[in-house]
Parts: sequence; C-alpha cells; structure tokens
Amino acid sequence: MSTLRPYRNAVRASLTAALCLSNFASQVAERHNVPEVEAKTSPELLLNNLVVARNKDERVLIEPSINSVRVSIKVKQADEIEDILVHKFSRFLSQRAESFLILRRKPIQDYDISFLITNTHTEQLLTNKLVDFILAFMEDVDKEISEMKLFVNSRARSVAETFLVQPEAKLGAITDRERGKARFAGVEG
Amino acid sequence: MLLLDYQNVLIEAVLTERFSGAPPVSIDQTVSDFDGVTFHISTPETKSKIVVSIQIRCYEDLVRYGAEQVLNREYGSLVIAPEAGYDFSIQVDLENLPADKEARDELVRNISLMKRNAMAAPFEQAYQEHYHLKEEASKFTSEEAPQGVREGGEVKAIHYREEEAIYVKASHDRVTVIFSTIFREETDRVFGKVFIQEFVDARRRAIQNAPQVLFRNDPPLELQGVPGVKNTGTGEVGYVTFVLFPRHLTPQRMPDVISHIQTFRDYFHYHIKASKAYIHTRMRSRTKDFLQILRRARPDSEEKERKTASGRTYKAGS
Amino acid sequence: MAHQTPAVVMDNGTGFSKLGFAGNDSPSFVFPTAIATKAAQGGGGGGSGSGRPAVANKPSFLTGGAGPGGHLSMKRGTEDLDFFIGDEAIAASSGPGYGLHYPIRHGQIEDWDHMERFWSNSIFKYLRVEPEDHHFLLTEPPLNPPENRENTAEIFFESFNCAGLYIAVQAVLALAASWTSSKVQDRSLTGTVIDSGDGVTHVIPVAEGYVIGSSIKSIPIAGRDITYFVQSLLRDRGEPDSSLKTAQEIKEEYAYVCPDIVKEFAKYDRDSSRFAKHKVMQPGGRQVTVDVGYERFLAPEIFFNPEIYSSDFLTPLPVVVDNVIQSSPIDVRRGLYKNIVLSGGSTLYKDFGRRLQRDIKQLVDARIHASEVRSGGAKSGGLEVQVITHKRQRHGPWFGGSLLGQTPEFRSYCHTKAEYQEYGPSIVRRFALLGGPGGS
Repeated sequence: MSTLRPYRNAVRASLTAALCLSNFASQVAERHNVPEVEAKTSPELLLNNLVVARNKDERVLIEPSINSVRVSIKVKQADEIEDILVHKFSRFLSQRAESFLILRRKPIQDYDISFLITNTHTEQLLTNKLVDFILAFMEDVDKEISEMKLFVNSRARSVAETFLVQPEAKLGAITDRERGKARFAGVEG
Repeated sequence: MLLLDYQNVLIEAVLTERFSGAPPVSIDQTVSDFDGVTFHISTPETKSKIVVSIQIRCYEDLVRYGAEQVLNREYGSLVIAPEAGYDFSIQVDLENLPADKEARDELVRNISLMKRNAMAAPFEQAYQEHYHLKEEASKFTSEEAPQGVREGGEVKAIHYREEEAIYVKASHDRVTVIFSTIFREETDRVFGKVFIQEFVDARRRAIQNAPQVLFRNDPPLELQGVPGVKNTGTGEVGYVTFVLFPRHLTPQRMPDVISHIQTFRDYFHYHIKASKAYIHTRMRSRTKDFLQILRRARPDSEEKERKTASGRTYKAGS
Repeated sequence: MAHQTPAVVMDNGTGFSKLGFAGNDSPSFVFPTAIATKAAQGGGGGGSGSGRPAVANKPSFLTGGAGPGGHLSMKRGTEDLDFFIGDEAIAASSGPGYGLHYPIRHGQIEDWDHMERFWSNSIFKYLRVEPEDHHFLLTEPPLNPPENRENTAEIFFESFNCAGLYIAVQAVLALAASWTSSKVQDRSLTGTVIDSGDGVTHVIPVAEGYVIGSSIKSIPIAGRDITYFVQSLLRDRGEPDSSLKTAQEIKEEYAYVCPDIVKEFAKYDRDSSRFAKHKVMQPGGRQVTVDVGYERFLAPEIFFNPEIYSSDFLTPLPVVVDNVIQSSPIDVRRGLYKNIVLSGGSTLYKDFGRRLQRDIKQLVDARIHASEVRSGGAKSGGLEVQVITHKRQRHGPWFGGSLLGQTPEFRSYCHTKAEYQEYGPSIVRRFALLGGPGGS
C-alpha cells in the first residue's frame, strides 16, 4: 500500500497541471473547434504525453493539448475474473457516457477507461473538483472490482454449499453450520 | 430463490386448478421446461380428459436405460399411446379422479414431475446395479474380485442437450455421475470456473458428508472409450464429476438424490446468471455514486435556491 | 436439430405481466408485476418512492451478518435472491420482513434492479427455460425511450445470454392480434388501437407498423375508475356489501354497454327482471345478497359520458378517437378509421365495440355532411368506420406476440447475442418490422 499514496499524489499533481486549457479554434478547418488531442492535426498544439504508473498493471496516461486533455486509466487486473469484471464495468459505464459528460465512449488502446476533458468542461465545471472526481473514480473502481470479485467467490461458495447440503436430507450431508441453524430455527420458532 | 423446483410449475398450476372442480374448459398449451423439454397439455376429445405429453431430446437414451418401465410404474393406468410428435403421453379423466384431496394432490405432483421421472431411469438403473455389485463384491476381498465386479457397470450416456451430456456409472462402492459442460460465453466461463472450484472445495472445507465433486477439462478415466466423448484438447468442454458414496445410495434417499442431482446444470447456470444480475445492480448503484461526485463539480449547483419545509427559500453554499 | 424451442413471449405491463410461449392462444402465467424484497436495511432514503434497492456496499458476509434479524441468507451474501414475484410477492408482503415494489410505472420500467430480478425469476422459476435456448419477444409501451430498450437488451444479453431478442410495441402487437377476427381481411398493421387496462386508456394510431407518436392521446379513465364508480353507486344505495372486490365482480359479471341510457332506464323501470342479484361471501362466512341495478349499463357508460363520473375529464371516448385520427397524417386516416382495434380488459363489455363504432360513425358523418354542404353540392364517397372486437382482446398484445413469435421468419427478425456483441446495445434501437410489409 505504500506506493498508493505517492501514485495518487502524482496523478493529482500531473492532472491539475495538465488541466490548464484555453479555447482554441481549429487551425485546419474554418469555424471548427475540436479537441486537438483527438484530432491530432497540428503537432505544435500537442504536449508531451505523460504516464504515471504504479506498477505494470496500474497506470494513468495523460495526453495534454492546448484545448483538451485525455486521461486514460488502466485498472489493475490480477486474474481472469478481475479481467472480466473490469471489462464489464467499463462497458457498463461507457454505455452511460452521455450522463458522464467527460467519459469517452471508447477507451483508447491498452487502457480500460478514458476521459476527454475539453476547455468547455473546465469552463463549466470546477477544475479541482474534476480532478477530485477522477481520483475518486480511480479509487472506487478498484474498490468495486475487488468487492465484486469477493462477491462472486462468496456467492459461488454459498451456491455450492447450498446445492450439496440443502435439502439436508437429500444429499445426506449436514454441516456444523447447518446444525447450528437448525437449532436456532428451533429456538426462534 | 436458491434452489430450483423439481416439478413444472405450470403443469402443477393447471392441474391443481382443473382438479379443484372448476367447470371444465378446453386446454391447449405447449409448455417448455429446461433442457429443451416440451410439454403439451391439451383436451383433444372432451373437456374432461386432459392429455399431458412430453418430448425429450434424449428420450431414446432414456428408453435404453429403462425409462418406459419407470414411467409405467409411476403413471400406470394413465399411460396412453404417445401423441404424434411427442415421446410419452398420459391421460387424466377429470370425472374419474381419486376422491380424497390428498391423493389428488399427489397425482398432480406426480404428473408435474414427469420430466424428472423420465430422466430418473438411468439413475435408478445405476442404483440397482450398484446394489447388485455391492452384493457381489462382498463375496470377495478387493484383490481377488473378478474383473466385472471391480470395473463396475457400463457407462450410461444421456445426451440431454445438444452439446452436453450426463454420464452415469455404477461401481460396487459408488455411483459416479459426470456432467459435461460447455460455455458459449467468456464471462460465463470465468464465473463458471469460480463456481465449480467452490463445488470441488466444499467437501474439503465444510461438508464432509457431501458427494465428492471433481472437475477437469479432459474426459475423466471413467469415460474412456465411451462413444461420443472426445478429448478436443482445447479445454472447451469441462467435466464435472459427482461421486455418490454408499451413504447417498440408500434406497430411502434414492428419489431425492435423483431429483436433486438432475437439476445441477440448470441450478449452476441459474446462479451464474443471478450473479451477473446482482453485479448489474451493484454497477448501477456505483454509477449513480459517480454521477453524484461529478455533479459536485458543477459550480451553479452550489448556490441554488433551496426551499425549506415551510416554503421559504434561501441560498445554499454561500 | 429439427426441433425448435418455442419463443418466449413476455408482456410486462404496469399492473400485470403476461408470460408464455409463442404459439399458445393464452399466456401461461398472468400475475402482478410486483416484487417483494427483504425490507431495506438503512439507505432507504426517507421514502423517496423511487424504490432504490438496498445495495449493500459490500456483500454482507463481510459485515458478519450485522443486518437485523441475522437471517441465514444474509450471512451467506445471498439476500439478493431472497425475493418473490407476482402473486407470491403480494402474499409475502402482507407478512413481516418484505416490502412490495412495482418496478413498472406508467408502462415504463423505472427500477431496473427490481426488473432484472423479476425477469430472472420469471424465467427460471415460472417459465423454466434456459434463456440460452430460447428467443424472447418483449413488449414496450409506445414512446418508450430508446435508452430503455438498450437497458433491456443489456440485461437480456449480458445477464441471461438469451439466444435472440425482439422488442415490439404493444399497440402494434394488439393490431396483429386482431388478425384472428373474421372482420379483418388484409393483415395490415395500420389502425387505431384503443388500449384500456386498469390504470389508463390510450388511443394509439399506428401506420404501417409505426406508431404516430405525436397523435397519441390518453384518457384518465380505465378499469379502476369503473370499479370505483360501481362502488360509489353501491354505497349510495346502501347495499350490504360495497367493498372494492364486490364492485369489481359486479363490473366483470353484469356490466354491458347500452345504445341509449335514457331508453335503458325506461326499460329497467318497465321490466324488473333486468335487476340482478349478486351473492357475496363475506370474510366472516356470512352470505349477503347485493342488488345490481342501473350500474350494469352505467359503469362502462363513463367512457361515453365521462361527466357522470369525473368532473375534470369530460371528453367522451369516441370524440377522443376521432380527434386522434384527425390529428394524424391525412393519407392514413382512412386506414385508421377502418381498423379501430380494442385491447385490454376494460374493452370487454358487451356491445362496447358496437357503441363506439356507432358514435364515431355519427361524428364522421356529421363532418362529411357539413363539408358537403359547404362545398355546395359535391358528394362524398363516405368513410368506412369499423371497430374490431375479437376473442383475444384481453391479452391482445401478448397474443399478438404469440402469433408473430411462432412465424418461421420470427427468428430472423431477432437480434442475436453475436450481433449485440458486435454492435453494442444500440443495435436494439432498430428492429425490422415483424409481420409488416416484406414479411409474409
């Protein structure tokens, strides 16, 4: 856990610095105003990409430009089940990208979730709160994934036990726990 | 709902309603059950004669293992020639029902268990074989038992789904039930793996008396040489083995054990799906939380006019 | 395999869900769209009524079953499976520990968590099918937002892995259900659907299988109002039993539509045999007899003369229907007048269709006559008005679904799991029109 705090601090600092955006019209197409980080038509408007990595499985990619920043998060996936859950969750979120304003519908390659923050966003929303959101998001996604994984494991356990135990007479096995329950049931009843 | 019912709820409901003495009506319903089983409840001749027919994908397999005897035993005089397109039919005459309520309920229950009864045949046969082998084996010590006794009975294969089958094999000290499983979907496969692992571990951890459960990706020893079982080598098909020990094999327990073990596949799949549903619930609530946090970034929301309970307004966040 | 599993048809309405298999002439299960869940532990949010479930932040086995009661399922983290749906839910909610929720409001799904569990139980407990083996036909109300469709698809494909999915608009299915009537010669999907259930009555114009959303009108008079009306009449007369249940029984058994109320009153006064007696068993086991009088024809009359019941809604149903058709595009109006289809339990009164047809015809003829006069001698060819009554009216949308779901081409109209995975949920925004032009 010791690396978590510096990792988060580094993301916070880099993000705050990167979110210094200004309104900038497209140099290529007249009367267009596009996120330069997406369009990538004028190299001079793009800044250097920055990767903050905690380890090889957990990292954040920040792609700044003059009027937009793209933030992509790679969530830790230790095993197959976490992999599936992360995939499911990021799909679920991008399905609802409409209401998330800054969520990109499709994560960029090699990452799980991407955000696109443009100057309109920083004008309408409080920048420091946006940074707060992304950090809270990172934290909560990790938490949610590990909780869901715990859930699947514990559910699998109770499902297996229920099938093998209940109805106890049927497969002929009674656990101590079940015995305890029977006793309690007697008391309550 | 944790466990699945053994009986078909619809047939149960329809017959209970019919048997209660309600005015006769004509019925014509096609009903599905798990594993591609189709029922047909109808009143082809008169409104008082209800025909219930069942169609099972693996009926041929089941007949080979004595399904007809089991069904005849269960339904006796009710059995009629199978309706066209179905494998087995019975007819109930509403004017000729048992007089007492309990017997009627029993009849309803028995009919609603038609699928279970048909599928029970190979298991019952395996039980009988096991009893026989046990008796044989008791005559010998383990070393000198003749080949036939040590090897156990032949493997009964029930191809109950297009890609999946149940195999039952009796030995003198156990009955082995093997389910071949296949997952079409990645998420299900991963979830399934976690679930199966818990089935395997359950015995070691908490429930010493439960049947032993084994899992492997290639056909287990028992299935070697059984037609239709091939080792694809891809690990796509999994084999879940339940080993029923003598304590599960008493004649008293037989009916319940058979009913229960039949539901394994559907139970297993039901819970995988229910888990996914719960995960959706969690994700929905988490998404809501995220939106809440994002909403805090809106500056205008901070100085919105708010109303007190008495209707006065004030400015918040100032 | 030559054998094909029948499609599952589910019509989840605000009040009742109709579930069954395609090809049958009636749904296998009809029960309330209700779910009873374990009472929320905390997090209820002050009775907001939104029915947000108590999602434990972590599975409660972690908290060591700290929830009230210490129920076994809580310790095991399976409390989300501890619920009942349908009639069982109603029964469970009258006992302790369970709260009742209705996940559908005004025809639209409001609570997805509850709905997902409702579906799960419908499929595994009642219908007993493996969703991977079956195609599903679901219904939706007109003007359902496409996001709701996507959410539905997400549940059916991701949670249940269903083989194929088709979502049809209830009104369109109700039109298809009317094909069983002998009056319908061409199987067109153009017509006006009058869908009257328990809570609200909709008048929905459909052209070539597409709902004309801008012209839909709803009327706040439906089954429940008729029951209340009957009840108030019983109370006014001081009948020995005027419970809601009795009122409903009287409504269902005795009510009919008369051609003219004034004449009908006179008939009753001449011939006392028209008054009926209704026997009610009261909870105590006592039997009382309730007189049934004018409410026999007055009850459904509130559709035609709303002023006798309501003071804020005064437009009679025939006028609403006429207005709806008049506000639809001019080139489909003829088809809409010719094929007015009834659907739902509150359209089952005897002669309801006949009266409606007569009243609409009068309105139409009066307008034609007026324009003939104005044009100075031009003759109109007339306009055919036809109200279709048929046997499957009660579960019209479900039956229409059953009818279409058994056609051989149904499967090719469904979206499959593979398609869903390739294009994502937005694929269900579009469905080829089942039974429409191009279909057979």
